[in-house]
Order: sequence, then C-alpha cells, then structure tokens
Amino acid sequence: MSVAPVVKQLSPEQVGRYAAASGDHNPIHVDEEFARATPFGGTIAHGMLVLAAISELMAETCGEAWLTGGRLRVRFRAPCRTTDTITASAKPQVDRDGMCVYAVEVRNQAGELLISGTVEAPAGA
Amino acid sequence: MAAPSRALLTDLPKGHEFPPVTFTLTPEYVLRYLDAVEDGNAIYLERGLAPPLCAAASGLGKLLDLVELPAATLHTGQEVEVRGGVPIGAAVTLTGRIAQRAERAGMAICALDFELTPAGAGGPALTGRATVLAPAGLAT
Repeated sequence: MSVAPVVKQLSPEQVGRYAAASGDHNPIHVDEEFARATPFGGTIAHGMLVLAAISELMAETCGEAWLTGGRLRVRFRAPCRTTDTITASAKPQVDRDGMCVYAVEVRNQAGELLISGTVEAPAGA
Repeated sequence: MAAPSRALLTDLPKGHEFPPVTFTLTPEYVLRYLDAVEDGNAIYLERGLAPPLCAAASGLGKLLDLVELPAATLHTGQEVEVRGGVPIGAAVTLTGRIAQRAERAGMAICALDFELTPAGAGGPALTGRATVLAPAGLAT
C-alpha cells in the first residue's frame, strides 16, 4: 500500500497553540529570547507536535486500526525549528504477527532527518 | 530564585512511582489538540476515540506536572502502544514511573513509563515511554 506523505508548514503561532493545548510551556519552545541563548539559537517545536504528523499519516492510512491498536517507536534525531516545513512519510515493511509495519520519518525542508522509527497497526482491520 | 517546590525530574531514582492521577480526556481538550496539530481528520470524533498522541501527550503532561523540568530538557524518544483506544470523554487514570535513569557527561537520561486506564476497564488503553535528556543536578 502506498502512503501519501503529510506536509506541514509550522509557525511560532502554531507552536504556541500546541503549548497551550498540551500545557508544555518549556521556554525552548515559546521564549525566543531564552532560546536564542541556547545551542539551538532559537525556538524549536515540541517533539510531540512534529510527531503528530506521523500519527495523522497513520490515521489516514490505517483508519480505526491506528486508533485502537497502533504502536509507535521513534527517536527525535534533530530539533525542528518553529518555522520549518516538515514532511512525514511512511514506507511499508514486511507485515509481522498480524501487524502492518511501516518505517517512518519526518524531514524538514532541507531534507534533514528530524524523527525516525517504526509504527505498526493491526492488518486487515 | 525560589527553590523548586517539586522534585527535579533528573533527581528522581529509577523505580520512582508517581502517584496516580485521574482526569477526563474531554472533547474540548481533544478539539484544542486537533486544532494545535492541524489534523482535520474526522475519524476521531466519528469513532469517539482520541488520537493516540493526544492521549499520550495529555498523560505525559499530567506526569510532568508532578515534577520540575530543567529548562533545557529535550525529548529524545517516544513509544506508544494503543490497547483498545482511549474514548473521548472518558475518565482515565494515569500511572507512571521512572523506568530507566542514566547519567553521562553531566546529562541525565530518564525514561518515563506511563499507562492510561479508562474507568471500569480491565487494563490500560494506552501505554507509553518518553525518553528525555536533561542537565543533571541543575535547578530550573
């Protein structure tokens, strides 16, 4: 099954909305002055916000099976700027133990790998 | 600077258990989450099931409400396993623990395991592990 990628243009405003929704107000995400003084040189998006693009992709691809039996295991490889354009993609792997398996990743507009890992959802659901 | 009133995450030992927290995953919370991540898929509301990462983020947020996080804390890994799904509007009980803790070059690596169990359910509807990296032994 081919999987259409999910592309998102992030913004500081959206990151602020995610901070408000999640309650994660870590200044590295929302305080530009604080973040400028860190090795990142500016604010970065919440990892869970960037990761949500993969969940959206899997909900689109696997439907309810993702909501009731999905599994995800990822590593955050690099920080995502609050103005990045991100692309989440999934490559089908060999099914295992009744689960559809996908290698997933998120990259920014420069092609830099931000997140990589695997997700699974029950097959045939 | 005032001393933190809660323990620093990086000071907690492996095996530390957080007190259970019960809360409701309200439709309003889910809608705010979907607006924030800009996910317009109608399936969540049609099926009455929270997006897995919405449930995970809410649980993780409640867990991290119980501790102080160094300002430079970074999220380095995430695992989620859905076991039936988390109903929107359900009261859920969150349990969590420090599953792993290691220190290297002044940085602490902590793995937090958590489970969300809906009221009346026989077991968790979602489990997860968040791995974070933070300066060891620093106040916020």
